[in-house]
Amino acid sequence: MEARMFPNATTFVVLVLLLGLPFVVPTTLAIQIAAFALGTLSVSVLLGGVGLLSFGQGLYLGVGAYGAGILLRDFQLGLLPSLAAAAVLGGFVACAVGSLIVRRQGVYFVMLTLAFAQMGYFAMLAFKRFTGGENGLTGVPRLLSLFGYAIDDARTMYCLAAGIFFCVFLLTQRLLASPFGSVLASIKQNEARSEALGYAVGLYKTAAFAFAGAIAGLAGGLHVLSLGFVSPNNIELEMSQRLLVMGIIGGVSSPAGALAGAIFYEAVAETLSLIWPRWLALIALLLVAIVLFVPGGLWSLGARLTDLARRRKHG
Amino acid sequence: MGDPILLIDRIGVRFGDFQALSDLSLSVEPHAIHSLIGPNGAGKTTLFNALTGVRRPTSGIVLFDGRDVTRIAAHTRVHYGMSRSFQVTALFAELTVEENLRLAVQARYSREGWVFWRSPARRTDIAEEVHQLAAEVGLAERSTARVEDLSHGGQRSLEIGMALAGRPKMVFLDEPLAGMGIDDVHRTKELIRSLRSRMAVLLIEHNMGVVLDISDRITVMAAGRKIAEGSPAEIRQDPIVRSAYLGSAA
Repeated sequence: MEARMFPNATTFVVLVLLLGLPFVVPTTLAIQIAAFALGTLSVSVLLGGVGLLSFGQGLYLGVGAYGAGILLRDFQLGLLPSLAAAAVLGGFVACAVGSLIVRRQGVYFVMLTLAFAQMGYFAMLAFKRFTGGENGLTGVPRLLSLFGYAIDDARTMYCLAAGIFFCVFLLTQRLLASPFGSVLASIKQNEARSEALGYAVGLYKTAAFAFAGAIAGLAGGLHVLSLGFVSPNNIELEMSQRLLVMGIIGGVSSPAGALAGAIFYEAVAETLSLIWPRWLALIALLLVAIVLFVPGGLWSLGARLTDLARRRKHG
Repeated sequence: MGDPILLIDRIGVRFGDFQALSDLSLSVEPHAIHSLIGPNGAGKTTLFNALTGVRRPTSGIVLFDGRDVTRIAAHTRVHYGMSRSFQVTALFAELTVEENLRLAVQARYSREGWVFWRSPARRTDIAEEVHQLAAEVGLAERSTARVEDLSHGGQRSLEIGMALAGRPKMVFLDEPLAGMGIDDVHRTKELIRSLRSRMAVLLIEHNMGVVLDISDRITVMAAGRKIAEGSPAEIRQDPIVRSAYLGSAA
């Protein structure tokens, strides 16, 4: 557990990564990385913070994306209110689903998150009139402004996306290093003991699930803003799966792992897809390698290396 | 003697076809140390689980402090003043001794666990209490050690500290001395004896020397039933108990 202090060295490293990213990769890719890092953060909060494995975070991302898309297009709502609505929607749906399923343990919990995600996809198809069905939600306005500043090109959009990611990242770090976060950590370690101490474990888990849902919803909203439309694959199972893969590649012991996972996945995908159309197979191989040889994910690798360097210096 | 703090009226627990506990009645006075003894499989831990809300009894009533708690959730009972330790050590193994105790103390302030905007360290009153508890169970010097690095005896001591952190009116201790070294056994025995001034104790323990020494009352169980009950002196004399359980040890 590194999240005991706030802000810490991790906060600084994340800030540097976010500032440097647009100078290393194309800006459009950087935007996508920031949006996916935010979605992945919802996976790592659950898995790293409370020990809940959700295979269905794509549902809340999709709900946020469609919600923000419809509000922007049909109700001409501004940028901030639409994003706020996306977070609230994601959080609200996750709260409802969470209160139903957090009592189930292990595999059963995972299967339920999966089942709800699948239901979300079919609901999107069923309400074709509002969601556009398989064609997606098109025509979302792209000329937006924030406090008088126009968000009209890739550079400003990246500033917005990275800014939002950093704010949510700070909030997550704060939350994990708080009394609330300590209760979540205790549930992750020994749920029965937490309950025996007097904590209402079900409520705490539901709250964490709702918080993660709100983050995913916000990530969905950000995704719509950057693309100008909502693609149906925002709410497909593949999205849930991708967030989970990014989370595990990056590592869930720190919320910063979400950013590491998103950068790595997107960078590898970008490079490999040019060489080989079956690049996803290589991602799968990389995932296997990481789970087998770096169980704490990429972020833990960095921590291990600095640890080693420090020991070498002193020894 | 006033009203009992814990009153159990004919509770039974059934697992499928197996009647683990049948028609067991018991009452514990406030500020008394009441011990449960009996061979393995007598149903002592099952009784503990039924009393602390881990397993709902299939029949009967449990009254605690005048309140019917038979169907109350485990975490709510803690706030009524019931607290337990576990037979198989169940701690937060990857956290420090201090953090384990802090979580246990924090649980008593039901709103504190929802605070997400500041560090837990800001509550100096909780930190102070954690410090005292660690000293009380003899772990002051190991408070920053991770629990999985503690000796077995140390973990058992911490287990008791966790139960006391809830400032309960009654504490349920499930084999607190099991696997402890001789020094720890003595210190823990004195600690349990000292609890009497603050709370009632229901104790499951196989160490007969300690049980006969510190108990006010002893209930003997076998095969899910109560077979005898009385003061340590009476239990020592009881012919059924002598043949069934104490053997030559008494």
